Amino acid sequence: MKKKRRRRLRPGRALTYGILTVIAILTVLPIVLTFLYSFFPPSEIAAYLKTRNNYTDGQWMDILLSPARVSLRQYYTVLIEKPNYLNLFVNSVKYTAAILLGQALVIPAMAYALSRFKFHGRDALFFCVLMLMLLPFQVTMAPSVITMRTLGLMNTVWAVILPMIFSPFYIFLLRQFMIGLPGELLEAGMIDGAGTGRCFLHIVVPVCKPILGAAAALSFADCWNMVEQPLIYLGSQQSKQPLSVLFNQLSTENSDVAFAGAALYILPALLIYRYFQEDILLGVQLSELK
Amino acid sequence: MFYRKKSLWLFLLPGLAGLMVFYLVPFVGGIYYSLTDGTINNAFVKFANYERVWQNEVFRLGLKNTMELSLICAPLIFVLSFILAAMLKTLKDKSAPFRNILLMPYLMPSSALLIVWLLLFDYGGVINRVWEAIFGQRVLWLESEALRAPIVLLYIWKNVGFSVVIFSAALQALPEPYYEFASLEGANAVQKELKITLPLILPTAFLVFVLAWVNAFKIFKEVYFIGGAYPRDAVYTLQHFMNNKFAKLDYQDVTTAAYSFAVIVLVLFGVMYASKAVRSNDT
Repeated sequence: MKKKRRRRLRPGRALTYGILTVIAILTVLPIVLTFLYSFFPPSEIAAYLKTRNNYTDGQWMDILLSPARVSLRQYYTVLIEKPNYLNLFVNSVKYTAAILLGQALVIPAMAYALSRFKFHGRDALFFCVLMLMLLPFQVTMAPSVITMRTLGLMNTVWAVILPMIFSPFYIFLLRQFMIGLPGELLEAGMIDGAGTGRCFLHIVVPVCKPILGAAAALSFADCWNMVEQPLIYLGSQQSKQPLSVLFNQLSTENSDVAFAGAALYILPALLIYRYFQEDILLGVQLSELK
Repeated sequence: MFYRKKSLWLFLLPGLAGLMVFYLVPFVGGIYYSLTDGTINNAFVKFANYERVWQNEVFRLGLKNTMELSLICAPLIFVLSFILAAMLKTLKDKSAPFRNILLMPYLMPSSALLIVWLLLFDYGGVINRVWEAIFGQRVLWLESEALRAPIVLLYIWKNVGFSVVIFSAALQALPEPYYEFASLEGANAVQKELKITLPLILPTAFLVFVLAWVNAFKIFKEVYFIGGAYPRDAVYTLQHFMNNKFAKLDYQDVTTAAYSFAVIVLVLFGVMYASKAVRSNDT
């Protein structure tokens, strides 16, 4: 009881709340504004955006908070009238789905091999993974461009998809989690007569659910937001580009409906985040990242 | 732990093959590329490519900016995320909503938020309203060298949450009795942070810093959105140089630039690891 009263009186705690609340509001502000502006009529947005780049001192842009009337016109334009936005959106969905599917097939198995098997060269291999993870994209990109050319994959969607499937960071993330699992878990399975495959599917994968969710969500963020890879591997083929690369250009050309486009672009990320946020937190907490 | 199981290959092979084909073999093979001249004969030219690239002012500008931007972003993210994680810890279980909000931008596509960003940083925008109220004059955020500020802020806005989560996990794992004992001995909050928390989370701190730093090399994305493929000098990054060389099919220069950068990064990591090893020898 006494402890509780003391805590309530501590001014530091109120200050912490205050600071964190301000930071939290600033953090969500860009997202909230995007959604808010997406319900403005396009004409109002266009007029508002025209007041940008005015260098007269003493003149400010208005702070726009409520629309003249709430309108779904922007969404109508983006979704139905002008299909080029939607086409790029579908491209992004395809890339993301292909990469995540590939990763699901390859990465947990590899992490399992690296953490639960003893074999010659295992540590050397893990060291390579670690090094590749730490090397900046600029460094790994250049040589892999040469591979793509040799394999004839340049300017195809595979040049974007395949390297990302084997992304070293996720091998590292999952391996760190699996290595922390107690050995008794698998021994129990083996005593019951389960082989390595059964142990993997029926023991390791279920136990790894949080880190798998975390990896899926983080990898989704990578794919949904990728710019460097398609820019290089796809060259000037606009029809194959994902939304992340061309969204900017698109929103400059159709600035009156840009906010609806942005809102639709953000929405899947928000949903994924809602769904996986506990997994991300739990996964990081339980794995040996710390 | 499994020993000498044939099934190992079933699990290992797909991933290993991919890593080999798309990462390891090209990485080693590319060294050869950077040492040849790229004509039909593919003559061996030793370090001529390196000399040419290093004499290229645009390359040096890109390298300098990439380093500078990452060395602005990484320490900022590091310090901010530690402070935020420490603040979250004092709130105990009430911290969850704040932490969730802080992590949210990590999944958001930054290009979608750019329009709002440009509005906020406009000459007549909200940021300048606040700035003028405090400092008395406005800043040309988007049309001058100050362009670095919105870019760095966009980057931090997006990435700070992940470091906060890693730090929070480490802070939660710290043994409570240490703090209770320190309180009994009369240590204040700052002393406790410095003498107990800091040494105990050093391994995590190291990881957070390295990840923040390596990821900061990817700041190209934010620059590309705001400044395009040929941005002003203050934010021209190494990735811009490589993209533009690549567009001219100049593979020799691209690989040479890549390995020059790799050597620098690896040397810096080496120094960091060495200093870490030295420190742990001391204690």
